[in-house]
Order: sequence, then C-alpha cells, then structure tokens
Amino acid sequence: MSVMDASPSIDRRHRTIAFLGNPNVGKTTLFNRIAGIRAHTANFPGTTQEARVAHIVRDDIESTLIDLPGIYSLNLDLSESQVCAACLDGTAAPKGEEAHTPDALLVVLDATNLMRNLTIVAESIDRRLPTVVAVNMIDAARRRGIGIDAARLSEMLGCEVVVCSARTGEGIDQLMGALQRARVSDRTAPTDQSGIERWSQDVYLNACAPLETLDDNHVTDRLDRAFTHPILGVCSFALVMTGLFYVIFKLAAIPMDLIDVWFGALGDGAGSLLPDGAIKDLLVDGVIAGVGGTVIFLPQICLLFFLLALLEGTGYLARAAFVIDRLLRPFGLSGHAFVPLLSAHACAIPGIMATRAIPDRRDRLAAILIAPFMSCTARIPVYVLLIGILFPDQPGTQAIAFTGCYVLGASGGLVTSLIARRTILKGKSRPMALELPSYRIPDLKSALLLTLDRGTVFLKKAGTLIVAISIVLWWLDAYPQNTTPITIQEEPKLEQTLFFPDGADREYIERIQQENLKASEQYEKDLAAYEVQHYTPPSYLQRIGSTVQPVFAPIGYNDELTVGVLASFAAREVFVSTMAVQVAGNDDIEDESVLEMIKLARRDDGSPIFNAPTAWSLLVFYVFASLCLPTTVVTAKESGGWRWAFIQLGWMSFVAYAGAFIAYTIVGSVGG
Amino acid sequence: MIATAQQSESTIETKPVSIPLTQLTRGQRATVNTSELDEQDTKVLRAMGLRPDASIQMCRLGEPCIVSLAGACGGGCRIGLAKDIASRVLVTPHS
Repeated sequence: MSVMDASPSIDRRHRTIAFLGNPNVGKTTLFNRIAGIRAHTANFPGTTQEARVAHIVRDDIESTLIDLPGIYSLNLDLSESQVCAACLDGTAAPKGEEAHTPDALLVVLDATNLMRNLTIVAESIDRRLPTVVAVNMIDAARRRGIGIDAARLSEMLGCEVVVCSARTGEGIDQLMGALQRARVSDRTAPTDQSGIERWSQDVYLNACAPLETLDDNHVTDRLDRAFTHPILGVCSFALVMTGLFYVIFKLAAIPMDLIDVWFGALGDGAGSLLPDGAIKDLLVDGVIAGVGGTVIFLPQICLLFFLLALLEGTGYLARAAFVIDRLLRPFGLSGHAFVPLLSAHACAIPGIMATRAIPDRRDRLAAILIAPFMSCTARIPVYVLLIGILFPDQPGTQAIAFTGCYVLGASGGLVTSLIARRTILKGKSRPMALELPSYRIPDLKSALLLTLDRGTVFLKKAGTLIVAISIVLWWLDAYPQNTTPITIQEEPKLEQTLFFPDGADREYIERIQQENLKASEQYEKDLAAYEVQHYTPPSYLQRIGSTVQPVFAPIGYNDELTVGVLASFAAREVFVSTMAVQVAGNDDIEDESVLEMIKLARRDDGSPIFNAPTAWSLLVFYVFASLCLPTTVVTAKESGGWRWAFIQLGWMSFVAYAGAFIAYTIVGSVGG
Repeated sequence: MIATAQQSESTIETKPVSIPLTQLTRGQRATVNTSELDEQDTKVLRAMGLRPDASIQMCRLGEPCIVSLAGACGGGCRIGLAKDIASRVLVTPHS
C-alpha cells in the first residue's frame, strides 16, 4: 500500500535518489555503506563541486544514488549550496547523468547535533519531493544520552524517519525499505530563516532531548586548546606533517620503483617483440614511456589522499587549518591552503588536486597558482647536479644550498600570492568559520574509496592528455630520422702496410704504395657511405633549440642547455637525462661517470658549459620555472580553464628568466 | 506621560547588554544576539548554528575563537571562528 502513496511521477524500475545533509554528518559513510565500490566521483559541469554517484539494483529496482556536497543550507550564496539546489530543481546533474528532479531525497542528519541539522529538513520539505530522513550516528547519540523519538519526529516532519548508524550498519535495511516507500511530506515548514530556526527548535524540543545539554567534554576542550595553541599547535602540526610526508616518501618509493621497473621491462619486452621502425619507437619511447611517466605519480597521489582522508576523519585537520591560517593570511592565502602547498613539495599535481578542500574560489585559485613554486621531488635530480657543480666536495654548503632552493621556491610562491591578491584575484582571503567535528577514529573504508576515486580521476583526466603530449615531445626529439637503408654495419677500417722489410726492392715498395693508395681510396668511399647510412640528422627539438638559443643566451645557455631546458618543459627531471644524451651519448644517469661527463662538458670554444654564472642561472631558473606539462594540464582541469594554466606558466617562466638573468649577471660580474 | 517615562526606563533596565563574542571569558555562557557581519557571512553562521537566541559557551579565546553550541545544535558541536569574524558577533553574557 505504502508504495502507492509515493508520487505518481516515480518510475518504479529506475529511480534517482539524492543524498543531502550538513558536512560531518556521516553522509558519505552512509552512501559508501549502501553503494560500496560501485561508486565514482563526477563533477557538476562548469563547477569544481563534485558528487559521488552509484548505480545499484535492489529488489529489481535500479537506482542511481547521488551523494551531494555537504551543505548547511540550500539558500546560501555558496557554490556547493547552489549546486545542491540546482540538482534538486532538476536543472543540474553530475557529469554523465541526466538532469531531472530526483525521485527521492534522503536527508541525512547527525543524531548528536539534531537541532541544527533540522534546518535543511525544513528546506527539503519546501521542495515537495518524496523524502526520507535518516538520523545517522545514533550509536554516538546513545552514548551521550541523547534520546530521539523517531515516531514523534516522523509525525512532525510528515515523512518516514529511520534511525541508523552508517558505521555499524544499524538501520540500513530499514532505510532502503523506507526509500522505496518515500513520499512527499504532508506537512509544511516555514521558508524564512527566523521561521525555520523557530520551527527546528520546536521540532527538536518535541521529539528529542531537552534543549540545554551541557557540553562538558574536557578531553575535546584540552585537545582543541593544544592543537590551536600558537606554539604547541604549530609544533604538533609540524610533527604530524613530518610524519605524513615521511610515510609518503618512504612508502611511495617502493611502488614507484616497481612501476619504473615494470614499465622498463614492458618497454624492453615490446621492443624485442616488435620489428625495428617507427611503430616500435612510438610504442616503446612514446606510449609506454609516456604512460610510465604518468603512472609513476600515482603512488604518491594515492598515499597522500589516503593519509589525508584518515587525518581528516580524526577531526584534527579542521583545528590545524586555524593554526596555519594565522601564518598564511598576510599573504592572501587561507589556512586551508597549507596542506595542498605542503603536498606540492612531494609533487605539484596532488597538491593542486588537494586544493579542492579550499571553499573560497579565489583562495583556491591563489593556492593553485603558487603550488608549482614549491620544490617538488622532480627538481631534486637537477638540484643535485647543479649544487654538485657549484660546491664540489662541500657537503655542509651543499645542504645549505639545497635548503636555500626550497626556501627560494616557497618565497616566490608567497610573493606571487601577495601580488595576485592585489591584482587578478583582488580581495583578502576569507576569514575562516569552520565547524570543528568531534574527534573520532577515522573510517578506513571511506578513506580507501576516496583514494581509489582520486587515483582514477588522476589517471583518467590527466593521463590521456599527458600521454598525448609525451608522444608529441618524443616525436620532436626522435624525428626526422635517417631513412637510408643500412647495408654497412661496422665502421670501415683503413688497412695499409706501413713498414717494409729491410732490403725490400724498389718494385716491391712501389707495388705496396700502389696497394696502400687503393686501400685509402676504398676506405674513403666506404667511410662516406657508412656516414651517410649512420648519419643522425638534428631532431626537430634540436633545431628548435638552435633557433630559440638566442633567447636563452642572456642567461648563459648554449645550444645543448637550451635543448635540455626545452625538453624539460615536459617534465623537469628530463633535463639531466637530456644533457646526458647530448654530452655523453648515454642517458644512464645512475652512472656516476656520466654525471661527471655532464659536469665537465665543454662548449664549442672549449670553455666549460657549466661555468659558475651559468650553473647559478640554471639553478635559479629550475627553482622557479614551471617545467612540468602534467602540472599545467592539471592546473587547467582544476581551475576550470586554460586561462589560469597559461597565467601560471607565463608568470613562472617570467620569474624564472628574470631570476636567472639576475643570478647570471651578479655571479658573472663578481666572478669576472 | 509619566507612565511612558516609566515604561521606557524599565525598557532601558532590562535591555540586554551586547558585547562582542571575543570579550567573553573562557567557559562563560552567553546568548547570541546579532552580528555586524555582512548578510552572506551572517547567513552562513546562522546556518552553522550560530543563530540569534542560540545558547553558546566560550571554549577558547584568541585566534581562533572556539565556541560550543551545546544547546543551539542539540548536542556538542563546536565552531572555530577567525578573530575577525568572532569580534563582530554580538552576544549577551549569562549572569
């Protein structure tokens, strides 16, 4: 019977159910409990807001579940509130889903904070959608002695109310049943803010515990005071973050090495199976190397998001955000930006992706713009090479120089933010008002699902473009090739008789001289043919290098260095291997003698390539330059357009060039 | 006329004293009155539970200012506010 009570518009065979609720009410945990790993994340087109979407079949009914962003109210002028309101109106839907009014609405409430949560129920009732209310975290409420009369609450709200716990699984079956019977509330709720507030207080008093519950949680109080203390808070934050990144660096190294080895073996395998030619080169050096170069970032990204999700689940991150807010606000950044910026020291890509946690759009864009200024792990090989050249056999000075590079990069980022907040992103960073969720044991399943999601998003979004660009760069570096067929494998040798036996007669000597002349002529012919067959024409990248070199001449770069810099536009760590190929004909950078050869390499005029002014200029250039195509691609994706990616690339290139010029001029004049 | 004067006098006597949230002492309880924030920020705070007549308790002063909305949210939720925001929320301390 109750099925018939439902709205007549509901298609019984396929339904869309939207999950709505405040942040920190366990809505996503509840969603994950129902949907499991079948869910995926999808953006709302044209926004950075995202929802988790799952398609499930239960009792022969196929349902699309949409976990909307957590919001405090549908009527706020915030992106997340607008997206939720549009989704309920049927004017927006996550990417890949058809936009229509949901067939049922599940409003998730936190049983321990029920009165405030009721605001969104009032707004939902006003939407006239078939609604079910889930009072989640009932286990925590019972522990605190909060009693909730579900029947009375259901009567007052005019829709079915199910008490449940996403964590323990209590009430989930009842909830699924209730969703099938969802009906439009037969009650009305006020629509103005004050009316809603009075209404929610009234409902709360009638259906739940008395109004005055004392919050005398001394443990929470003490932890809060410690974690937000000006000194203790900063120290504990430093400790937590050091631990986090130590684990990321330590653990990610293992799968990263495995991926490296695996893709190397895959390349070798494919190389030995395929016949020589363009297709083999494209597959091995373009596709496999490009995919390998992208996938290698995956362990760091997954670990970072997994650990951050766990940390967020404990309730600690909300406190830490305030500690850092104090330090970052003078630079026009909010406290939310710290974790993304710190992550960017491992790799700018997860850092930029982590800016999704920054609620204010301008604060978020400022953080995205400056994230690549943080010295990532890919800069380390270049720093090692250049600092080794500048300060040979001085480990103390080398360590200071290394730290200096990190400080210089971060300072560049902060100054950039300061400038951006006075020009293109005018305005102060928004002062924070954050709910401080209760301290809890984090939900492992939710963290794992989020990690799976972020990893997939990274591979899907960035992977395709990064691979395409890697292939283009490979082609520029590998072509044009010599197409003359090779018939002479070995380089010809000149074989002549240079010594005559004592007492050789004149005729003998003349004959030998004649033979020597013939051998010499033949050798010259063979050598010319060999050189034609084995000639490597300059690649397009090299040609571009010679053409562009005058631009880099004022900062001390010759043709080889220009090619190294250009090649590292794909990824900065490519610089060392490109230099190795050019000066040593070998890209094995593990081989110390190759690194030595790079260090000692000479220009055409015999002077060293890496003289002091050039090495300083390169070091400053690599600290500031945005030499990483994946970063540019991810910036475009995350900022919602190529405009910001180009601004970032242009500005960082300008700062890098100007910085390198200053370094080159100063060191040149001091040294000279 | 006399009656009116008396009435206004009594109004003055019972008018609650409004002070910025940042002037409460630690552990002190108060009732939220109004805020001097812009409309949007006020709406956000109200949606978060910091609504007029909500009973709050000061947990931490300074930057950030942490208040507990024990009664106002029906449980134990806490809100951290940047000093800049907290100083513009007006409350009436409980005696």
